[in-house]
Amino acid sequence: MTPRGRFLLATLSGLVLAGLVHIGVVLVIPSLSETDALSRARTSESLDHAMPVYTLATGDNPSPAEAWLPIPDPAVAVGICAYDLADGPMRVSARAGPLMLSLAVHGRRGAFYAVTDQAAVRGALDLVVLTRAQYDQALADADENDVSRDVRIVAPERKGYVVVRVIAALPSQRPAANAAVQAVSCTVDSPAEDTKAGG
Amino acid sequence: MRPAASHEGANERPSLGRRAVGLARQAVRRASNVTLLLYALALGAGIGLASADYATRGGYPFGGVVVGAWTAWPRAGSVGADPYARAVNARRGEIPLAIGEGMLLTAAQDDAGRTLDATCTYTIAGITPPARAWTVTVAGRGTRVPGQTTLREGFTSTEILREPDGHFAVTLSPVVQAGNWLPMPRPSGPVRLALRLYDTPVAASAGTLDRSALPAITRTGCAS
Repeated sequence: MTPRGRFLLATLSGLVLAGLVHIGVVLVIPSLSETDALSRARTSESLDHAMPVYTLATGDNPSPAEAWLPIPDPAVAVGICAYDLADGPMRVSARAGPLMLSLAVHGRRGAFYAVTDQAAVRGALDLVVLTRAQYDQALADADENDVSRDVRIVAPERKGYVVVRVIAALPSQRPAANAAVQAVSCTVDSPAEDTKAGG
Repeated sequence: MRPAASHEGANERPSLGRRAVGLARQAVRRASNVTLLLYALALGAGIGLASADYATRGGYPFGGVVVGAWTAWPRAGSVGADPYARAVNARRGEIPLAIGEGMLLTAAQDDAGRTLDATCTYTIAGITPPARAWTVTVAGRGTRVPGQTTLREGFTSTEILREPDGHFAVTLSPVVQAGNWLPMPRPSGPVRLALRLYDTPVAASAGTLDRSALPAITRTGCAS
C-alpha cells in the first residue's frame, strides 16, 4: 500500500470513528448530565410538597434566581416533585382551583403521562405513580366496595419527577398560581397506611 | 517521487503555504503505523466530540413540524423524543411540555422568511388552534440577564384584547403601540417568538396543522 493510501485509510477510519463517537456522546449525554431536570430535582425528594422551579414575578418582585428553566413561560408557575419508587409509591395530590393546573410525569426518557385538573374528581386530583409490582400489590389489596379515586400510573423506571404547572391567565392571579404550586403535596405512600385505608 | 524537488524548492525560498504542504507530504510519507493510528484516533475524537457538542447546543436540531412561520415541537418532551432532543433537554435543564399537557411552537422568522429583528415592528395576527389556554411570548437568544425586569414578555389568551370576530393582533415593536403591544426584549439582534398551547388536542396531530390555524407574523416596518 502506498503511503498516501495508508494516510487516506487512516483519515477514513478517523471519520468513521468520529461518527461513532458522535452517536455515543449524544446517547450518553442525558445520563451523564448534572444540569438536567432529573438531577436538579433530586433536592426536592425530601420535601412533602412540590419544589418551586419557576416562581412567577408578582408586583415589584421579579422571578427569583432559582429559576433554571432556559426560556420559561412568564405566565406559568412550575413546581417539581422528584420520586424514587424504591421508597414506595408516590402520591401527588392537587386541589382543583380556579386556575388551570396540569401534572406531567417524567422519567429518564421523557414524559410518559400528563393529566390536567379537568380529570379531578370532586375537586381533588390524586395521582399515584408506582412500579408494576406496586401496582399489582395495590390491586390485590384494594377493597372491592371501596371506590378509589386515585389515578394510578405505572412508571417504566424507578426514578423520575412529576411536574406541576399552574397557569396564571391574568397578572393578578400570579400569587395564587405560586401558592397553588406549593400547595400540591407529594408524599410517599407507606404500606401501613394502605392496609389501614383498605381495612 | 522526486524527493530532491523539495530541496530545490527550499533554495528558491518558497511561500510558507507551499513549505507547509511539502512538510505535510513528507510527514505522510514517513508516518509509521502508530502515528497513523494516533492520527485516526485524534481525528475521530475531535470531530466526534465537536459535532456532538454543536448538535446538542441551543435548540432542538430537528424533529419539528414546520407550519408557516411556526415550528411545532410535539414530541420534544415525550418518551418518543429523538436522542438529540433528549440530549438538548438534559444539557439545558429544560422541562418540556408533555403531549397531554400542551405543545410548544416557536418562530424565528416572519411569514416572508426574514429573521425576526429587534429593531423592526411585526404584527402577529389571526387565530390559534383549539386550546384551553395559550401564551405568546418573545425572548432574545441566549440566557436572560438575571434581575432585569421587562415591561411585558408575553400575552395570555385571557388578557389579550380581541376583535369582535375573535381574532387578535399583537404588535411586536420597540416603540409604544396601541392595542396589544408586546415590547421588544432587547435593543437589537434576533428575537424568537414562542406560542405555547396548553391542554390542546393538537399535540397528538401536529402534522395536520394548517398555516391558517396559526397567527401570521408580518413585518410592518423597520427603524433602520
